[in-house]
Amino acid sequence: MKKLLYIVLAVFVLNACDKGFEELNVDPVNLSQAPVGNKLSTIELFSSGGNFENHRVNIIYNAMMMQHLSSPLLNFAEGDKYILRKDYTSALFIHYRQPVKWIEDLLVQLDDEDAPDEMKAIVRILRVFVFQRLTDHYGDIPYSEAGKAFIDGVYTPKYDAQSHIYIDMLEELEAAAAILSLDSGTSAFGSADFLFQGDLSKWKKFANSMMLRLGFRLIKVDPAAAQNWVTKAILGGVMESNTDIVYFQHAATPLTSQNGNASGFAQDDQIRLSHTFVDFMQTRNDPRLPILAARKRDGSNDSWNLIGLPNGLDANLLLQLTGENDTNEYAEPSAIVKNLATPMFWQTYAEVEFMLAEAAERWGLAGGDPEPHYNAGVRAAMKMLEIYGSEAVIDDADIDAYLLANPFDATNAIEQINTQYWTATFLNDYESYSNWRRSGFPVLTPVNYPGNATNGTIPRRMTWDESEKINNLTNYNAAIAAQGADLLTTRIWWDIE
Amino acid sequence: MRIIIFFLFITLFQFNTSSCYSQNVKVSLDFKNVTIEEVFNEIEAKTAFKIFYMNAEIDLQRKVSLNVKKKRIEKILKILFADTDIVYEIVGKQILLKIDSLKNKSTPISSVNENNDLEEVVLEKVQVQGIIIDKFGVRLSGVNVVEKGTSNGTSTDFDGHYNISVSSVATLVFTSIGFTIKETLVDKQSNINVTLIEETEKLSEIVVTALNIKKEIRGLGYSITEVEGDELSVVKQTNAINALQGKIAGLNITQHATGAAGSSRVIIRGASSLTGYNQPLYILDGIPIGNNTNGSAGEWGGFDGGDGISSINPDDIESVSVLKGGAASALYGSRAAGGVIIITTKTGKGLKKLTVEVSSSFTFNDLDTSFLDAQTEYGQGIFGRKPVNQAEAKATSRSSWGEKLDGSMVVQWDGVERPYSYVGSNWDHFYRTGTTAINTVSLAVARNNLNYRFSATNLKNEDIIPNSNLGRKSMSLNIGAVLSKKLSVQLNAKYIIEDVHNRPNISSPPFNTSFTVGNLSPNVDVRSMNPGANADGTERTFSANPFYINPYFSAFNYRNEDKKKRIIASASLRYDFTDWLYLGARAGVDHYVIEREQVWPLGTGFFPLGAIWDREFQYTQVDTDAILGVEKEMNDKFSVNAFVGVNSNYIKDQELVNLGVFFIIPGIESIDNTESQTPSKMFSESKIGSIYGSAEFSYSKWVYLTFTGRNDWFSTLSFPGKKSPNDDFYSSVNASLVLSDALKMPDFINFLKFRGGYSTVAGGVDRAYQLSLTYDFFADHEGQELVQINGEQVPNANLVAFSKNEFEVGFDARFFNNRLALDFAYYRNETVNDIVPVNISSTSGFSSVLTNTGVLENKGVELLISGTPIKTIDFVWDSSFNVSHNKGTVLATNYNNANISIGLPRTLNIEVAQIVGEPFGTLFGNAYSRDVNGNILYEIDASGVPLAVIGERKILGQGVSPTAFGVTNTFTYKDFRLSFLIDGKFGGQIFSGTNAVLTANGLHKQTLEGRENGLTVSGIDAATNQAFTTTIAPENLQGYWGRIASVGGIAEHFVEDNDFIKFRQLSLGYSLPNHALKNTFMKTVHISATAYNLFFIKRSVENIDPESNYQTGNAQGLDYFGIPPSKSYGLNIKVKF
Repeated sequence: MKKLLYIVLAVFVLNACDKGFEELNVDPVNLSQAPVGNKLSTIELFSSGGNFENHRVNIIYNAMMMQHLSSPLLNFAEGDKYILRKDYTSALFIHYRQPVKWIEDLLVQLDDEDAPDEMKAIVRILRVFVFQRLTDHYGDIPYSEAGKAFIDGVYTPKYDAQSHIYIDMLEELEAAAAILSLDSGTSAFGSADFLFQGDLSKWKKFANSMMLRLGFRLIKVDPAAAQNWVTKAILGGVMESNTDIVYFQHAATPLTSQNGNASGFAQDDQIRLSHTFVDFMQTRNDPRLPILAARKRDGSNDSWNLIGLPNGLDANLLLQLTGENDTNEYAEPSAIVKNLATPMFWQTYAEVEFMLAEAAERWGLAGGDPEPHYNAGVRAAMKMLEIYGSEAVIDDADIDAYLLANPFDATNAIEQINTQYWTATFLNDYESYSNWRRSGFPVLTPVNYPGNATNGTIPRRMTWDESEKINNLTNYNAAIAAQGADLLTTRIWWDIE
Repeated sequence: MRIIIFFLFITLFQFNTSSCYSQNVKVSLDFKNVTIEEVFNEIEAKTAFKIFYMNAEIDLQRKVSLNVKKKRIEKILKILFADTDIVYEIVGKQILLKIDSLKNKSTPISSVNENNDLEEVVLEKVQVQGIIIDKFGVRLSGVNVVEKGTSNGTSTDFDGHYNISVSSVATLVFTSIGFTIKETLVDKQSNINVTLIEETEKLSEIVVTALNIKKEIRGLGYSITEVEGDELSVVKQTNAINALQGKIAGLNITQHATGAAGSSRVIIRGASSLTGYNQPLYILDGIPIGNNTNGSAGEWGGFDGGDGISSINPDDIESVSVLKGGAASALYGSRAAGGVIIITTKTGKGLKKLTVEVSSSFTFNDLDTSFLDAQTEYGQGIFGRKPVNQAEAKATSRSSWGEKLDGSMVVQWDGVERPYSYVGSNWDHFYRTGTTAINTVSLAVARNNLNYRFSATNLKNEDIIPNSNLGRKSMSLNIGAVLSKKLSVQLNAKYIIEDVHNRPNISSPPFNTSFTVGNLSPNVDVRSMNPGANADGTERTFSANPFYINPYFSAFNYRNEDKKKRIIASASLRYDFTDWLYLGARAGVDHYVIEREQVWPLGTGFFPLGAIWDREFQYTQVDTDAILGVEKEMNDKFSVNAFVGVNSNYIKDQELVNLGVFFIIPGIESIDNTESQTPSKMFSESKIGSIYGSAEFSYSKWVYLTFTGRNDWFSTLSFPGKKSPNDDFYSSVNASLVLSDALKMPDFINFLKFRGGYSTVAGGVDRAYQLSLTYDFFADHEGQELVQINGEQVPNANLVAFSKNEFEVGFDARFFNNRLALDFAYYRNETVNDIVPVNISSTSGFSSVLTNTGVLENKGVELLISGTPIKTIDFVWDSSFNVSHNKGTVLATNYNNANISIGLPRTLNIEVAQIVGEPFGTLFGNAYSRDVNGNILYEIDASGVPLAVIGERKILGQGVSPTAFGVTNTFTYKDFRLSFLIDGKFGGQIFSGTNAVLTANGLHKQTLEGRENGLTVSGIDAATNQAFTTTIAPENLQGYWGRIASVGGIAEHFVEDNDFIKFRQLSLGYSLPNHALKNTFMKTVHISATAYNLFFIKRSVENIDPESNYQTGNAQGLDYFGIPPSKSYGLNIKVKF
């Protein structure tokens, strides 16, 4: 009725009152759609991350909990002392507002544009990489409904159980790898793909290597599934050399391109290498130590000048414990790794070799002998530092000497392999922390700083974003009911005791 | 309901109904002793009427005197031909005059016969004289005294006295406009005094209503207030709209502490939208004009970029109509959610001779130093001691926690030792007396079916801040022409050039001179900082904190200049097909360009390499209307006035910014002389298309019923594939009952009308492109351009317009021969589906979404009492009082009804928030933490100083005062006119960031207590829950107050009532009497002296002006070092030639 009247009026008085309105309301200045390549570039950069989450989660919590790093401060070193600072522990959550949202957006666009499946496969692998970090840190998280406020109008995404997320991520990797097996050329992303310049074979290896990583995560909660996925990954083809490493090459300018760890070091000159880590390398005469560390006071990288700062201390406790009141006597991250343009390692060939060693050890997979994989892992971990630059090249002789002094120990294989894994993932402490939780190695002595939030135990997860209590309360409460309180000590699904 | 009303329109237009031209045309005439012929000429000049008669039948040379204001033509004809045998007939726009033949036959022209009691004709003449008064004894001048049946007549003089020679048996007829006709037999009397009774059926004032349609007030079912232009220019202001303050019930004007070129906030009947634009739609000569604010200060500082309405020249304004309620403004649809203000500019209509008018005003703005009442006893320093060296003097640049001033020599910021004694008010030292000069020349005339008026105005303002000024040149040309009997046209054009030099910075530093000057210690003289720059152009920094800028550097080296060129032009025409059917069309454009250059010079303390912003704002609004209307009187009692129209509105808004950083070569402040430039563009283009209509029925001129309807289509709510409507329908119905005409009323009631209405109005989305996702390139990485989704707000493709409904009732009553008038209105309005940003889970990828979830209610009353307590021939006292109270309540914010924060001050400890169940703009901030008994909790620090525990945020007040009143009294004695305005606001609160900072810095007087012997504080120790009483040592007072007053401190301590009563305006005017001008070329000369913002009768907040808000948007109730208040004194001269 109403409509009819409008039509009558419109005909009588003038023609339609909203003619051309739909076209008029299209923004002529900003883009209504962007090329997929530019989106992929942005997603890769933001998946590598910026200062915010790398400084807060990777350095202040993960690296300090994993005793790679330490700091005498209270502020800026809460993770060193297991103090809960929620605006830091939730910092990785910003991924939802950046790479997650953009990945979902790009997937829709690739569908809309009928893009080749291999392009979608690349984005699906990236998606797993981003979500894997999120779920490994927080456990249950919005996954299936996340990042879709615009796409599906979901403003309060539900939290998916980590068990479901893991299955989906692994299946996604499997599907993506299957697509990439069909073609070994170059994707249409080309050079917009900073990681591999579109090289499909490398993406496939990344997919399978991620599958290997994710498979191992299930070792405590579902060993059979772990074995199954690890087997699939190995059959599918994992990384074969350091040229397959997944890393993002950062740049000093513009600001958005800087390495997030390095810019965190630039903000906080009290970060030191942990006594645990320095001691571990020193006792093994590790050639990596002088490359990764330098004495704060004078920049000396002579291994025997390098002392690690014990974790869990403040200036007062340090003085009481060691008699030292000058923190400049301790080792800090070297100029090489503090460079704002350093690469950020996402997953390395060394990690893959260590996982293969463990697969051989546990299930007789990957040739059945863990030792060559262990040796290849150690060698790769040392050689890969040359990606930092020519000053980070380790002589093969030094590596040989190291392996000679620290040979594969079949009696203690799992610990040895995973402790090397820990050494190799220095500064990729997202991974060190997850692998420590699933393997239990290295064996770390927790600190017990006054007022810590974990009763002197190393945290088992990070906490969700506080704003979820305001903006997504129902789902937040449901997630607590499913997983447990939003605490540092609550264990996530795959991290059962 | 919507459908029914709409249907009504359609059916209505199928009737050939209308009301007569004569019903709507009102004529004002003022003649003394002129011929009938001259009267006819004037009527024809002023109206579309043509008068037809046989020359032989009408005595064209008969002299008459006539003084009527806005009378219908019938009334005028009745007066002109009272007691003659001439009858008239109005056919459309033709007036036919003829001899009444019946009259002729029965009554030959003879007074004798009429008296019918004498057979002989008595020719004896007698001289009759007397005095005519009204029932209050006031002598009436200009009363026509006519010997009945003859053309013999006279009129009373200024003393109400008349003298006439008539036949001794004659009947005298006394007529005067507004009084009933009185007849008296002479009966040989020589002295006849008469008391005239005022007409009861009087009220036929015409006001301008929606779409510039003029209507009689009696027929309106809603509240509308019209203010004459003269009233606005009594005290001329740089922003003319400010002159409405205190004059209209329900209109809440906030003048901000942002300088002479700043903007004003005008709110009618409370805010309509929680976070959107809440100010009224401005209509200038029939077309909407833009009122964008091009810059506003926030918590991190900034400046007020001025608003659109301030461009309008007060000297050009004929009248301002404020359409308060929804029923009044429903015809404007979506843009009328905040009410409508219709400004009509002057034309040449009715000016038979070329009239030249020169108007000049000159005003001094004098800094009002009575406000900032800081302590003057203790000097610069910290912890109770003086600075010991230059470095410490610079480090403590805004700390007055030193010693008692003792006259000793103490080093200051520049290394110079000066006496440690009070240097006088730095406000006086730094600020200057501002001046405003406004000169207008206008020419106007109406001749040969053509009337025009041209005016040119020059405004020059020097603000109280050195080197800050505003210049405005306005030109206005209005032309009206009757092209044929059927076609008339009106053209209006205004061109305005505005030049603003250094809009003052307010709120947080840098560049806010008030912040620096207000925070200097009593022993530091601001003049020592003059000049602000060294010889090489670098800033002479007086503080270790580079953000506290040398105020002279800020005034003379920092630059912020803008130039606005604006044209507002419209053309309208009306074609009368018949006497009942017409077509109207109107088109207008408002276009301006602002070029703004803002420079942080090379050598600026906090940004040594300098920066420059080159900005260009462009705004264009094009509005076109077409109306087809009928006006018809069906019969004697029933008339209909209806129309349908279409409207198209187009707005383009764009801003180009080029930011250049780091000057290369000193001395050249140009964008080309910078190391890197970042250009950006903001663009928005939108259209609204509309169909509207109105139908008014009246019965017997005492029942009026009006329906209006409008449907708006929004481009901003259109997008390919959008499923929700991109349009909305708005309607209103209102009724007026003139009970005083319908029923027999007691004598003292002259007029009584009840009115009521219901309406829906609404608001769409102002900004375009909010429905869809957009992307932009934001950076590059190793040669690849990076692209991101713009913003973190989800574009909501299903957004619809919000709607606001309003119910209004009221009455309008006049008593005691219209000496007392009462106008009352009650309204309740509710905004539903308000478009608000709702915070959403960040895991959704975005942080907020625009949704239609806000609900806001306003309830209020408005009362206007006006009257004339005293009225004699020489002396008249007019008085008017208006008061309004609006209770706004936020009923819903978003789906979980979380608070919506709309603004905060630099202290960050308080915000203005929309909170469900609370008034619009609630102050929500850190409160003291208290125990159950209300005792304040303290943490005792290592030195034993009790530091107040910062408690949770609480509701501390409301930023918008709900109650406002204004009283105007005008006394006219002969040629003198004295008028004053007092206004006030009640019930609101303000957070004074100024007082917080002064307290933290030891300048507030409350910090004096205990400076010698310590301050005793009692409270509860939060650690032990035990009561304590302790005396804080003088050197520790700084820490005690620092906790309360620093950034993040206790806002509760600084939220105060901002009630005030202000003696706003005083003017004394004198018009030179006519006889003094008799032999000059001048027609009228009017001189007046004025004063503005004279003093406060009541003020509850200390140190600051209660009106010192710096935010021009919705976040009201925040003060933070605005421009200091000033008083102004002026002189106006107006001469007509």
